[in-house]
Amino acid sequence: MNAQRHLTEAERHDAADGSLAPEQQATVDEHLAQCASCTDDVARVRNFMTRVRDDSTHLDVDLWPDIRSRIEREKIVQLSATTGEMPAVGRRPVGRWLALAAVGAAAALILVVALPRGKGNEVGPTTADPMSPEVQLVVDSTREYEREATILLNELELRRAMIRPQLRSSLDHDLRAIDDAILELKEAIARDPNNPGLRRLLASSYRQKVDLLKRVGG
Amino acid sequence: MQATSGTNSPHPSPAQQAAAASDPAIDEVVRRAQHGDVEAFESIYRTHAPQIFALCRRMIGDEHEARDLVQDVFVRAWQRLPTFRGQSALATWMHRLAVNVVLEQMRSTRRDVARFIDDADHDSFSARPTSPDERMDLDRAINRLPAGARTVFVLHDVHGYSHDEIAQMTGIAAGTARAQLFRARRALMRLLDL
Repeated sequence: MNAQRHLTEAERHDAADGSLAPEQQATVDEHLAQCASCTDDVARVRNFMTRVRDDSTHLDVDLWPDIRSRIEREKIVQLSATTGEMPAVGRRPVGRWLALAAVGAAAALILVVALPRGKGNEVGPTTADPMSPEVQLVVDSTREYEREATILLNELELRRAMIRPQLRSSLDHDLRAIDDAILELKEAIARDPNNPGLRRLLASSYRQKVDLLKRVGG
Repeated sequence: MQATSGTNSPHPSPAQQAAAASDPAIDEVVRRAQHGDVEAFESIYRTHAPQIFALCRRMIGDEHEARDLVQDVFVRAWQRLPTFRGQSALATWMHRLAVNVVLEQMRSTRRDVARFIDDADHDSFSARPTSPDERMDLDRAINRLPAGARTVFVLHDVHGYSHDEIAQMTGIAAGTARAQLFRARRALMRLLDL
């Protein structure tokens, strides 16, 4: 560039936001001193940038309750980082059979979700349909298992610091696997509420959770 | 809660970073949160949520999706906080985390960060408003930018990232980022009738 040629688009933007290379600065300044057109344009870009920086955005809802709720769910897993000792209440490592169970549940989930169903492959919710007695039975037992798991988890939390670290780590790992499976199943059920296979798998996952917590709780 | 984010400094300057990084009160809150204190983490949320929301809102262009992303950012921050070593200010760490979460979301929904403003896109958003009623506010104008241009513009002009940082985060060349920025500015100036 020389004093006669107008600034390029890049030079104008760089001049406006102050990012010109040092070796360009003198030449650009020289041109701007004698070119009203380029000077006006650089000023326009600069004014625009000022407006952008002065603009504000409002967050008018409190997202913390939802975030906290998600964090509390995560804490089941994260507690494995805590330290403490406690006599073992379960003698055998619980990991192996539960890992197998979780893998089995996941495989079954994939099968149930992937296989075509009786009325075709629709995945949308069919909440308008009445729940069949079979599904209702499974839903009721799921609720019961869920309630029991919650009680057992609360009891476990009170004794948690006394569990051997190795067992605690194994427990957290297995609970996480089961909870992940439960979450996936719930999402699948939300898409296909009247699928009895999904409902049974969910009930089975909660039962596994209850069994695990009972074993650890002695 | 209503919080307002002035958008001129959510990406702190080095001096601000140094000051923030050495604040003992903030260090203590972070340390407690790293050890699982949810109330301490809530305090971090209250401090940083407006800036994180502003970033998500501008980058993603949708208010409701931005709120979901803010949740994702803070849940991930909670998970990763134990890895925060304090080499940078927490605000910088949070900000970078948020950018990554948003970029992941954009990639997962196939919004191409590297996409240029091509001629077709240009035609669709560059028309100058013909009456005062048609003049739009900045947020609406930014929303009309293609994802790539919007990302570069928001990261550079709103949040102060350099072209090299943007290139590193998005995987596009720094020169591409510059070109996107210049064209985005021009498009926005036309939309805002400036």
